[in-house]
Amino acid sequence: MQTHIISLLVEDNPGVLTRMSGMFTQRGINITSLTVSPCEKEGLSRMTVAIEGSESELEMVRKQLSNLIEVVKVVDLKESEAIIRDLCLLKVHAKDPEARSEVMQLAEAYGAKILDATLDSVTLELKEEPKKIDRFVDLMRHFGVKQLFRTGVTAIGIGIGVGAGAGGGVEK
Amino acid sequence: MAKQKLSGAEIVVEELKTEGAEVAFGIPGGALLDLYDVLYKEEAIRHILMRHEQCAAHAADGYARVSGKAGVCIATSGPGATNLVTGLANANMDSSPVVALTGQVPTSVIGTNAFQEASTFTITMPITKHNFLVKRTEDLPKVIHNAFYIANTGRKGVVLVDLPTDILAGVAEVDLHPKETFAGYKPNIKPNQVQIKRVVEVLANAERPLILAGGGVISADAAEELRHLADFLGAPVVTTLMGKGAIPENHPFCLGMAGMHGQLYANRAINECDALLALGTRFSDRTTGWQLDQFAPDATLIHVDIDTAEINKNMQVDIPIVGDVKLALSGILKLLEKKRAKKSGSEWEKRIKKMHSACDSCVEDISMEGASVSDMLIKEISRILDDDAIVTTEVGQCQMFAAHYYMTRKPRTFISSGGLGTMGFGFPAAIGAKVAAPDKKVVDIAGDGSFLMTCQDMATCVENDIPVVVCIFDNRYLGMVRQWQELFYEKKYAHTGLGITPDFVKLAGAFGCYSERVEKPEDLKDALNNAFESGKPAVLDMIVGKEDKVLPMIPPGGGITGMIGTERCKHI
Repeated sequence: MQTHIISLLVEDNPGVLTRMSGMFTQRGINITSLTVSPCEKEGLSRMTVAIEGSESELEMVRKQLSNLIEVVKVVDLKESEAIIRDLCLLKVHAKDPEARSEVMQLAEAYGAKILDATLDSVTLELKEEPKKIDRFVDLMRHFGVKQLFRTGVTAIGIGIGVGAGAGGGVEK
Repeated sequence: MAKQKLSGAEIVVEELKTEGAEVAFGIPGGALLDLYDVLYKEEAIRHILMRHEQCAAHAADGYARVSGKAGVCIATSGPGATNLVTGLANANMDSSPVVALTGQVPTSVIGTNAFQEASTFTITMPITKHNFLVKRTEDLPKVIHNAFYIANTGRKGVVLVDLPTDILAGVAEVDLHPKETFAGYKPNIKPNQVQIKRVVEVLANAERPLILAGGGVISADAAEELRHLADFLGAPVVTTLMGKGAIPENHPFCLGMAGMHGQLYANRAINECDALLALGTRFSDRTTGWQLDQFAPDATLIHVDIDTAEINKNMQVDIPIVGDVKLALSGILKLLEKKRAKKSGSEWEKRIKKMHSACDSCVEDISMEGASVSDMLIKEISRILDDDAIVTTEVGQCQMFAAHYYMTRKPRTFISSGGLGTMGFGFPAAIGAKVAAPDKKVVDIAGDGSFLMTCQDMATCVENDIPVVVCIFDNRYLGMVRQWQELFYEKKYAHTGLGITPDFVKLAGAFGCYSERVEKPEDLKDALNNAFESGKPAVLDMIVGKEDKVLPMIPPGGGITGMIGTERCKHI
């Protein structure tokens, strides 16, 4: 099992998300993260899907997604060839002043922004690679995480020609 | 062309005509009053009123498989649409081009549990190639055009168009007959020339080449190219269930159907070959068996399919070609003919001829010693029907008896539910087949269990003068499941017995069909002649052995060299 990031360029029609996610449901594959947003071309949307699965499952899914009429492009983004970002908002327990200052120090070390602080909690924002966010969240669990929100992964290929861009990228 | 001011219903019907739809199988309903109001005046489209929406979908499917054109079915919102589901799933699974039009509640109340509302769009998403929920009347020209374009191109399939009442009633100024399509839909038609060269290299040097022909050969109208290649290579052809008819089964190189209920030597040939050219098939487990190490273990596997997603799905292959089978075959033939002369008289060819002589569906006068009544009845039907006759089948034992013994001589004359295995398919599919080919004899090979699932459409046949003949293999059992209970569940016949009712002769008579009981195989010829001569839809209630079994077979979990029940087979 391995995390794969699939970048899709799709027609921005109602139902396209159901159609796409249905493909994963039918094959019993769990989507670990999903983002949908407008892209550089009007009428098209970009979806970034992270899944856990084997190479052969990925190949099958990639082909079957390509078969969807409203999918314009499918790209399997390799970690080494892409810039991957996730945004995390979390509220950490920090009643004890010592803990609070420790949380703030760690936040600084990780480049997290302090959005809000009260007498019993600190709210932080971290925009980073998903793996780094995982590590930061694990650290914060030590103090007690009250709430955790992540936007899900979005990714762009390095250089020209990688990523499901309207120009470049891999044709279906 | 100038813009025209038309109602949604008028646009739908105009575009149907432009797309070449001549027939529609359907049932009206509240949500479709506007559409039917236009159809009422329309002479270019023959509407056949079915008695159940499932049958409308199967009839459109049967029509498509026989004519090669997309079949059209129509059902109203809610239950009309949900009743279509089985038929659409069936057609899509067998890559049959069908366009389904469904009524829908007005857009203003969608999602409110309105009367006769069901979310047809989401329900049918996983069982169609594509579907549309139309939200604006002015979108209709593009939607209907694309529905046919998508259904008919690439790997063919089902497209459903959900039509809310206000969209049908609404008026818009539109340009008819648009050409625009989806940016992301580019069916792979042209095979890659480099891959073709690689295939030719393998085939030219193979000593024991074999061709496995699937439904894609028929769908691509590539039967002629297939025959040329088989002749040129001296290669035997085995088929899948969907591929029956891709080559005349009496052709000396045909070894009949392979797989679970296939011919003993079709399976052996797959095991023995050194190059296997699979055409338009998805290597279903019913074809390959479950021990894949017995499936062409010494062969270079070549797979030609129009659907990229089929490559390496069920079988890892050595050389894939994505594209149209007909184009791929012509490409292969052209190069091969340049590369070497026609091969004949090889050891493999001698072996093929022997194997052919032991094939139950290839040899008309093969010995039927030790055969069951069911076996003999199919062989008799096969002998009586002419080359052009069309056979449809229900699902279960009757289907596998037909697959095993019926000699299919032309493409598009053996129509069966392959992927989904839908009981009740054969009869409505026969209706669609007969409408597509009114001059051909159409026979549904049925089981009593299957026929009871869709027999209400005898009314459709009688009212619309569609004289199909249903031959019921009447054993008062759900026979295939009973056979498995006998062989693998210690004869515990859990809920497979059907009791003694109904009397099919009387039932068919009550609908106004010709009907007759056939007690012995030797009476079948007269009964079939009576049925055809009556000119009416007909039902023949053929009494078969209650515990007849379809043999030989690959038992569950077995491989293609592990068939059981081969005692009756001719051994060479």
